[in-house]
Amino acid sequence: MFLARAVVVVVLLFAVALVTRLYRQWREGVRTDRPDHPAVPASLLAGAERTWVLFTTPYCATCGPVEARLRALDPTARVVKVDATREPHLADAFSIRSAPTALLADAAGRVQERLVGADAVEDYVIALR
Amino acid sequence: MSSPAPIDPRGPRFNQAVLAVALLSGFLFDWRPVVPVFALVLLAGAALGPRYGPFLALYARAIRPRLAPPAELEDPRPPRFASTVGVVFLGAATLAFVAGHAGIAWGLALIVASLAALSATTGICVGCEIYLLAARRRRPGPVTG
Repeated sequence: MFLARAVVVVVLLFAVALVTRLYRQWREGVRTDRPDHPAVPASLLAGAERTWVLFTTPYCATCGPVEARLRALDPTARVVKVDATREPHLADAFSIRSAPTALLADAAGRVQERLVGADAVEDYVIALR
Repeated sequence: MSSPAPIDPRGPRFNQAVLAVALLSGFLFDWRPVVPVFALVLLAGAALGPRYGPFLALYARAIRPRLAPPAELEDPRPPRFASTVGVVFLGAATLAFVAGHAGIAWGLALIVASLAALSATTGICVGCEIYLLAARRRRPGPVTG
């Protein structure tokens, strides 16, 4: 009986490990791929040449520093914050899975860069130096 | 509507890891009291708040001070709802034990154990997702997801 139970536990743990692995692969894909983004709405661009659309949540501890980093990076670029919990349809449209996620859009609203997480923003800033 | 104070998301994940290990160990050694005991553990955190959940309190007092601050805080309502779902499942499992249906009881407990293990290792909290889905339909105050 113990052996049968041990087998059940092992199978369950294997299933959890498998789902964990698939989830991490999917998450990594979301972080690094550039999915086909829709155009950033003109209301967010407000005619700017370059706009950072920064998706945040009310409890995001790193979003404030990331916003400051983006503003310092290119003072001529517009930075607009979008609370993903207040704008769930916009967050869904851009496949936002975590905050902060920053999208760099050109004047036509085409997404040029997608940075997920404070580390990605920091890496981007360092790469531009 | 004001939002409740945010919490360190690693607290619920620690709680879920303990829950998964305890339930799987209980199943392995056929130690049935683990089910009602952890139903009460979850109930304390869900009904009274994180300070009253024994393992949430243990994390807050003994483990969190040794760690770096979390990158992101989270709304306490989704994990609290997930705990409530866990209480329902473990409560039903306890009743099944009392009624003599050990297979059903362990089946329910293993569902909770699997979801807790998944949440602890990936952060995918099925109960939280259900809460967020319902919250988006109601369009209440801010909730994170």
